[in-house]
Amino acid sequence: MKRVLNPIALSDRQFNWLVVALMSVGFLALIAAGAAAAYVVSRNQAQTGWVTHTYEVERGIFEYRLLFERIETARRGYMLTQQPSFLQSYEEASVGVPRALARVRRLTADNPAQKRPVARLEQLDRAQKELADESVALVRSGRAMDALRRFGVDGSIAIVREMRRVTDRMFAEENRLLALREAEQVRTGRLFYWVIGVAALLLLGVAALSLVVIRRYVTELGRSQGALRQLNEGLEDAVKTRTADLQRANEEIQRFAYIVSHDLRSPLVNVMGFTAELKAATKPLAALIDRAEEEAPHIVDEEARLAAREDLPEAIGFIRASTQKMDRLINAILKLSREGRRVITPERLDMAALIEGIRGSLAHRLDAAGAEVRVDMPLPAIVSDRVAIEQVFSNLIENAVKYAAPGRPGVVEVRGRREGPRLIYEVADNGRGIDPKDHERVFDLFRRSGVQDQPGEGIGLAHVRALVYRLGGTIGVESQLGSGATFRVVLPAILVKEGERQS
Amino acid sequence: MNGQQSVNIVMVEDDEGHARLIEKNIRRAGISNAIRHFTDGTSALDYLFHHPEGPAANGPALVLLDLNLPDMSGTDILVRLKEDTSPLRRTPVVVLTTTDDKVEIQRCYDLGCNVYITKPVDYESFAQAIRQLGLFLSVIQVPDPEE
Repeated sequence: MKRVLNPIALSDRQFNWLVVALMSVGFLALIAAGAAAAYVVSRNQAQTGWVTHTYEVERGIFEYRLLFERIETARRGYMLTQQPSFLQSYEEASVGVPRALARVRRLTADNPAQKRPVARLEQLDRAQKELADESVALVRSGRAMDALRRFGVDGSIAIVREMRRVTDRMFAEENRLLALREAEQVRTGRLFYWVIGVAALLLLGVAALSLVVIRRYVTELGRSQGALRQLNEGLEDAVKTRTADLQRANEEIQRFAYIVSHDLRSPLVNVMGFTAELKAATKPLAALIDRAEEEAPHIVDEEARLAAREDLPEAIGFIRASTQKMDRLINAILKLSREGRRVITPERLDMAALIEGIRGSLAHRLDAAGAEVRVDMPLPAIVSDRVAIEQVFSNLIENAVKYAAPGRPGVVEVRGRREGPRLIYEVADNGRGIDPKDHERVFDLFRRSGVQDQPGEGIGLAHVRALVYRLGGTIGVESQLGSGATFRVVLPAILVKEGERQS
Repeated sequence: MNGQQSVNIVMVEDDEGHARLIEKNIRRAGISNAIRHFTDGTSALDYLFHHPEGPAANGPALVLLDLNLPDMSGTDILVRLKEDTSPLRRTPVVVLTTTDDKVEIQRCYDLGCNVYITKPVDYESFAQAIRQLGLFLSVIQVPDPEE
């Protein structure tokens, strides 16, 4: 058969995996976009720094050029007019020149292409300064004509022109750099927009995906909540119905047990009564046989003798033993059914005192068996029915003493602890133990376990279990054959009276 | 029991065997009064109240009453016997039954029963109880029914 694959119908599990994977990818991409944006911004900042730097270099060169032009102008003006204002202007400019030139040198130190022009400029500057100082000195000493004459031949004009050319070249170089850097800045800016755009798209995608997932989960959650609520309501109703059913069934069983056991007693009285009459009647019969044997042995045959002396007493003995046992069993059922109908009255019980009371009532048996009962203090108090609790624990302790291991003095330990709204009491012994396969059976009516060397009908634990159930608790046993048994009784710490539990 | 007019014992007991055992043991206690036995409530009531030889019309009686009867409860008979308008309201009633339920015992005494005895299942105890009852019957005074 061909297997049909449906790629759309993903299982819930696969869908969940896919969603988790997609969201992880989305978030990773977002982080990457963030990092890229940060990188681009920092790069843009660096580029802006460089552009500013280029402008600064240009300004430096421009300043220097202004200064050397001013020197030249002042020198020439001073030579022609001998006006002291030119001298003043000259001196002012002379002070600024070395500073401006040093600045240009410092700013262009990173660019090898500008190193040579700067060096050349310094050379020219020194030459210009020398010649200009000479001219100024001559004019001051009144030899203005000499100065003018020398100016015409000392190459000053060529130097200044050369200086202009060099600075022009430097400007050109800086402008070239500026264009390059500005173009780069524009590119980075564009890249930044791209990154932001991609990040925004990613963000939108992740947000949409998250929305879908959340919506899906919310819908699912709502649906399961609704289902849960429905289930809960149904459950409450079911519990109520079941409780009512159980109570009815329990009452029915109690009534049934009562009627059956009661009505069984009536015929039993007859069986036992007439058996006793029979037994009484065998005596004269036996006497008759005895006399007949003595006086007329020929009329007594073997069969008659056996019937009167053995068969009849034996049959009557068995009937009596069986009916007596049956009577005990019926009484046990009656007792159980009566216990079930008894009104429960919860009260606060000091368990330590209660166990002490049981120990007192068993003192004789404990002494006889050489056993002891230890109470592991503190024993939590309980609010429950006194008679029922007394019967439960005295049965358990009595059993523990009764089924001691041969050759080992019995030690019974009673302990208790609280767990939430419930109390857990344990009656532990070092007795002969119970085979694990019989752990359920021992609580059944008329069922016993192990070596049958102790009197009893198998009623005690059935009674205990019925009582514990009646008190809203549970009982269980932990044991291995030969290594003692621990009976664990779990009871509500506060017993609510029947009928008050509802509503 | 009363010397001049012998007291009839009316036994209402649905179980023939029980009735026989009771009668035997009463006889063994030396009681020779007539015992009338009924296995159902209707005929017993009929005899008690309407029969010409019954206690209502004819002489004192003592009633041995079982509570579990096929047609009615023994307590119904007890109520009829002990109600204010009954001519037999002073007739001693011994409830002799298998029930040892406390509530039931209380109810019977409330309704006016004079003695309540639980039939022991164990025959020795049963026989002894009936014989003691016989001894008891031999000494009690029984009033005449209302004229």
